This record gives sequence, structure tokens and C-alpha cells, in this order.
Amino acid sequence: MSGAQRIVAGLEAAGVTVAASVPDTWIGKLMAAVRESTKIRAVDAAREEEAVAIACGAGLAGGRGAVLIQNAGLFNCGGVLAGLVDLYRIPCFFVVSYRGDARDPVYYHEPKGRVTEPTLSAWRLPYAIADRTTDLVGQVAQGVERAVESRGASVLLITGEDLA
Amino acid sequence: MTSRKPLLEALVAMLTHDDVLVSCLGANSRYLPHLAVPAPVFALCDSMGAAIPLALGMALQRPDRHVIALEGDGSLLMCPNVLATVAAARPTNLTALLWVNGHYESSGGQRLPSAPVDWPALATGFGIAHVERVGDVASLRTAFPRARAAQEPALLVVDVAFDPNEPIPPYSERPDAIRARFRIP
Repeated sequence: MSGAQRIVAGLEAAGVTVAASVPDTWIGKLMAAVRESTKIRAVDAAREEEAVAIACGAGLAGGRGAVLIQNAGLFNCGGVLAGLVDLYRIPCFFVVSYRGDARDPVYYHEPKGRVTEPTLSAWRLPYAIADRTTDLVGQVAQGVERAVESRGASVLLITGEDLA
Repeated sequence: MTSRKPLLEALVAMLTHDDVLVSCLGANSRYLPHLAVPAPVFALCDSMGAAIPLALGMALQRPDRHVIALEGDGSLLMCPNVLATVAAARPTNLTALLWVNGHYESSGGQRLPSAPVDWPALATGFGIAHVERVGDVASLRTAFPRARAAQEPALLVVDVAFDPNEPIPPYSERPDAIRARFRIP
């Protein structure tokens, strides 16, 4: 089972029903695995804030929503995180590609990598960094449950290596 | 041009227990607690542009319910791309009403950028198949049932009068109360 398939297995295990996404290279590969799922509806959004609201809508309607986006897209989401997720206390799990970290081979992502964790901390978003050498399925499911229990956002940062 | 309240009252009168209503921030959200809405209501008081994608998520999760989103022209002008997202997802149970008054009513009545946005053409261009323009209560009463029966994403462009002296009631429900009460049976 590939890393992407293990992440999807984690989403399924946690009862995620809708995964809304704006892709980058890595998230696109993950969404290809999501589309193989019979339990999760993949939704292609044009903009990351929409993806957050779509996932929240699924959650409010009795399902569980997840957002799969790049870190640059996460930076777009400050308003909707504050004005929807936090204000209404809606569980929302994020899988975010950690572009620009030390393992990213693409130089122009470096500025995003430098501000990713500081932004998550400043926005008070609980996050974890995926570790494909351990129980990735469990790590994803745990992230979803963390969002549900806290009635807020929870973020799992992944890299391209995690999808292999 | 028709004012907001009779249009909103006419819409609410057409809703049923099988509907779900999602309202954008501003006047609609502020009026709704004072109306007898038979459907579950999720009213936003912030997050401009979130009503339609929020309704889309609900519609996909609950295909047995018809979800109606109320959005303002100022909000949709920030993120018209959501129309493409809706067109791509193709829910058969989502109707959006776009309230067009050319003003940011809830933030003090400032004018929108003075571009002659052709909302029906824009929506059609994004792939929304069922689009109608509504200018009064009578046309809303005929257009809304058609939209609900369309079996494809629908958008009603509702031209509504802007009145800076309209006595819009203040927000009367806190978000935590709205969240706690919202349930789709």
C-alpha cells in the first residue's frame, strides 16, 4: 500500500465522507487515491477557502469533511478559519503539503516552507508532521478525531515522500 | 425595485421541512430569526463568500434534502470562482439566490466597485445550467419552484433595492447557538 493509499485509509477509518481539494503536485497524487475510495466524495474546488467551507458543510450535515491543499493555499484560509471554523466551532481536518521544507527539492517553495509552522502556531492550529515510517493510517485518523473532539481545525503536514 | 423583506418572506413561505437554508452574513441572517422558517437554518455573521460552498458541502452530504444558499453580490464578487466549483460538482439539490443591490450593506452601505457585472452571464459562463433573473415577489414565486425542480445547480439572481435607512434588525443569535441548534433530520 502506498503512502497516499494509507492516508486515504486513515481518512476512511475516521469516517471522512467529503474531501475537498485544490491540488498541487503532491496533493494531486493524494487526490488520485481519494478518487479510488468508495466512501469519500472527492470535490474539486477552485479556491482553498471554498474547500474549507465545503468540508464544514459536510460536517454540519452529518458527515465528516477534510481539506487537502498546499501550504500556500492554507495561507489563503485565515479569514474562513477565523470566521467559520473557529467562530462556529466546526471540526475540519486538513492534509497540507509542506512545500519548502528541507525535503522539498523545488527551490521556489522555500519561502512558504519558512513560514508554514510559524503561521500554524500564530493561528493556533494544532498540527502534526506525517511520519511514513510509523502508523500513517493511525496518524491521519488521529488528526481527524482531534478536529472532532476539539470542534476546530487540525492539520497534518505531508511531503511528497509520504505519498510513495 | 423590490425591497429585501418581502422577497425574503416570499422565499421563506415556499420552504418546506425537506429544505435546508444557509444564509450569508448581513441583512438576510439578521431577518431570519424573526421569520417562521420551516427548514433548518445556518446563518453566517462573518466569512463573506462562505454561504454557497457551505451549502454545497451540505448538499453533497445530504442528497435527500434541497439546500438553498443566500449570498450577496459583494460576497460573490470576492470569490465568483465558487460557481465553477458548484458546476463541476453538479449537485442536483442546490439552489443559490444571489441578492444584488450593488452595496456592501452590512459594512455601512459602501458601493461595490462600479463595474456592470452581468451576473446571469457570469454564472452561465461558469457552467451553472439553470440561471434566472428575479425582480419582484411574483417572479420569485414562479422562479424558485423551477429552480428547485431543475435537478441541476441553480442560481436565481435577485435584484433587490438598497435602502440605507432600512430598519434591519440586529443579529439576535450567537454563532454557538446557531451551531448548537442546527440539525438536519
